[in-house]
Amino acid sequence: MNTTLLKKSIGEARLLVGGLGVLLFVFCWLRVFIVSRLQTSQFATIVEQLWDQFKDLWPVSLEQLLSYTGRIAVGYNEPIVVFGVSIFAIARGSDVVSGELGRGTLEMLLAQPVSRLQVLYTQAAVTVAGIALLCVLTVAGTAAGIYTIKVKEDVPPPSIGIPGLGMRIPLSLAKPEKIKVPMSEKTKPGYFVPGAFNLFCLGFMVAGFSTLVSALDRYRWRTIGIVVGVYVVSIIVKLLGQAISEVAWLQYFSIFSAYEPQKFISIAMHEPANGWALMRRDEAGQIRELGPLGYNLILVLCGVVSYVLAGVVFRRRDLPAPL
Amino acid sequence: MIVETRLLTKRYATGTALADCSLGVERGEVFGLLGPNGAGKTTLLRLLVGYLRPTAGWAKIAGLCCQRESLAVRRQVAYLPAEAAVFPQMRGAEALEFFAQIRGGGDGVERARKIAERLDLDVSRRVSFMSTGMKHKLALAATMSADVPIYILDEPTANLDPTVRGTVLALVKEARAAGKTVIFSSHILSEVEEVCERVVILRSGQLVHTQGLGELRQQHRIVAKLTAAMPRIPEALSGQLTVVANDEQEVVIETGGELPPLLSWLATLPLADMRIEALGLRTIYQRYHADKSIQTNGGPARADQRCASVPVAGPTLHVP
Repeated sequence: MNTTLLKKSIGEARLLVGGLGVLLFVFCWLRVFIVSRLQTSQFATIVEQLWDQFKDLWPVSLEQLLSYTGRIAVGYNEPIVVFGVSIFAIARGSDVVSGELGRGTLEMLLAQPVSRLQVLYTQAAVTVAGIALLCVLTVAGTAAGIYTIKVKEDVPPPSIGIPGLGMRIPLSLAKPEKIKVPMSEKTKPGYFVPGAFNLFCLGFMVAGFSTLVSALDRYRWRTIGIVVGVYVVSIIVKLLGQAISEVAWLQYFSIFSAYEPQKFISIAMHEPANGWALMRRDEAGQIRELGPLGYNLILVLCGVVSYVLAGVVFRRRDLPAPL
Repeated sequence: MIVETRLLTKRYATGTALADCSLGVERGEVFGLLGPNGAGKTTLLRLLVGYLRPTAGWAKIAGLCCQRESLAVRRQVAYLPAEAAVFPQMRGAEALEFFAQIRGGGDGVERARKIAERLDLDVSRRVSFMSTGMKHKLALAATMSADVPIYILDEPTANLDPTVRGTVLALVKEARAAGKTVIFSSHILSEVEEVCERVVILRSGQLVHTQGLGELRQQHRIVAKLTAAMPRIPEALSGQLTVVANDEQEVVIETGGELPPLLSWLATLPLADMRIEALGLRTIYQRYHADKSIQTNGGPARADQRCASVPVAGPTLHVP
């Protein structure tokens, strides 16, 4: 690793990572704040009525979705979070070869005694570190929210149970008392780490793919166009696979099928033993499906293969003169 | 030979950019590359620094293969691309520091600052706010400050004003005086003539001529109008004279040696008018690059037509 190149890469990435970092931290804190303001009881009935139509689109149970943890976890599927990390990955990944070629700066850079692989992988290291930082900031924002925000809850009036009838009769006709409970009593920041890790793996995969296309191309606008095109098609393919049972097989062709932060947060909460498992097992020890680590490994593997191919392509390709 | 190529060829799907180029550059030489746009100069330089992979042939710098040992080659070479662009987010001083540090630091930054000063460049300005000429100066300062045995400069004076061009040529001369090798590609013949010791002329990807500038300075052209047919050239002079055109109105003779031995023979000719001119690089250059205009008038040019169409350059001695 060349420290001069490293400093240059950090210098180029710092504004974007700084801006997106602040955005993600604030958004995740805000997400906790919004969850604290909306009481589950206010919309649970509506969601329950629509659940049959939309349950295929949600990777978690209704109970999990309505819980504080489940509602905060939805943040990891919010466009701001997913696109925030993806924008950083695409912006930095696409810049490494076709971006520098387009600006004409690659010529001066490679006129120096640095190898092409050094140029590519130094930038990749900074990009991956930037993605990791952004994902850490999502957890930090969520944790800051959990430790600073209180939840308003209705305390029902005292009641008495009638044995045999299964009924409770209130002892007072006063309105339910509202109390404030710290969010930290409802959920824990640690539950969200698997979601953030899944987001990191997605970002790593997108950065690797962007770098590969950049290594093949000479125009950055075209690199971004190709990557965004594949990204959008991948989202559509997953949604179609989820929504229409006849084409459920389409999900196997979408990289977003491996991006399930809500599900992994739910597993971490309810099945701690499976929280980081390669294969998810039931209580009897039988394998049920791929575990969170398995999904994450698919994303990481795609990213690693993309980065390796990018290195091979960039090392062998001709560098055209800038236009 | 510090730089050597053998049958170096680069072909693309759309055509051949460089074909069978074999040349050698001696250590400490300033070597010029001449040719119009698309002649293959930049392709040759990009093959030398390993930006392109040759289709055939090979190139070596300081005994290192330019393709397989490109990194080691670039430790020996400072290359200035024709369209040199520097990182827009940096300030000029930061960019000079970056290039010096990437080559191992030392007093590279100080050298670069001094060159920037000589080029009258404000290094406190952000690169993105610099003009094309300023960016080129910055790249020049970064390149010429590198302490390497070989400089490869692709059109180093493009986009520069005449004063700064003079400074660039002075830098090249200083490099030569310090025993460095310089490969100098340019369209400006007078600059090449001023600093280079040898030039090659490229045409449509082929190396068509190699010319020592020392020899060229001794060569002259005699353009004479005769009142009668030209007599035979004496045996003693035939080795150093070439009659390149001889029609009813005009005789053009080129000489490769000293002028004084010729003068007595010239005085015996039935002269109506005579000019003696230094041959000049332009004359040589246009032998290879004036063809197109002649050929468009129908068919390939004859040797005498080529020479007759050559405009002359340099000091002229006119004998009425």
